[in-house]
Amino acid sequence: MKKKTQEFLEAHKSETPSKWREEAEWRRDNWSWLRHSQKIAVKVLLQMKQEGLTQKALAERMNCTQQYVSKILKGKENMSLDTLSKLEDALGINLIYDEHVIYPNMVAEEALV
Amino acid sequence: MTFDKILDNNTLWAVRYDGAADNALKLLFDQWNDPEWLVDFFLANMADLESYFKITDINQAIYDTIDDNQRMQCLILDISPEADLDKLFRPLENSRTSEMLLGKEKAKIKERPQHASWLRIYAIKLEPGCYIITGGAIKLTRTMQEREHTLNELKKMEQVRNYLIRNQAIDADGFADYMSEL
Repeated sequence: MKKKTQEFLEAHKSETPSKWREEAEWRRDNWSWLRHSQKIAVKVLLQMKQEGLTQKALAERMNCTQQYVSKILKGKENMSLDTLSKLEDALGINLIYDEHVIYPNMVAEEALV
Repeated sequence: MTFDKILDNNTLWAVRYDGAADNALKLLFDQWNDPEWLVDFFLANMADLESYFKITDINQAIYDTIDDNQRMQCLILDISPEADLDKLFRPLENSRTSEMLLGKEKAKIKERPQHASWLRIYAIKLEPGCYIITGGAIKLTRTMQEREHTLNELKKMEQVRNYLIRNQAIDADGFADYMSEL
């Protein structure tokens, strides 16, 4: 980089350091469960929109605090099966099982015969 | 505005706008990792998703965004000091073939299955291999002028470009030398 440009940027550096790297690294390190948490939050949010359900109403259905529902909807909560079951019951949707394993390894049409 | 160094070798920086909690890259990743923001965005822009990408499943669109965002974050995290950033960033206008002073550039995920990625990171090119990230967007239309959120990104790029020119942040003579070497 040209000296003048580098000097300008250094002279105009932010006073507090950014947390972008540590947060991006945390997300990468926890990606195996975080992606599920984010996608479950999306499903829950869409169902809530569909029903016109508030966080408070969902918390009442799950018998938990609104703060906990808020954490779930941020997609950063490593939820237990117990919590997932409560969410499913409260919303009447399937969150855990999306697809069946075809066993033995046959194509779907063969499995129906 | 101030600037945050993203790579220790000084080749990649990000703008921190006045009053913002962090730089444009951090705020972008936060936004793309927020299920509430993503649901609201796609519900508001569903018509563009259907008309331009022919996708009607909002669940899948958001899941794809979450996966692409993760790939984008890893891409930035894993940039090596020897990496050529000119291969990551491309001129904003597909038709632009020549260098321009403090050009507007974009980065996107390549080679994703099923549909092109709609995630964009926008930057100003300081000189070959050196960039300042100004922001980013989920681009669901052919041009940036068509929607307010992408039009705003164009304005941000122009704002940063003007700031750098006004404050003589780049060596114009050096740039002229570079142009003559092309």
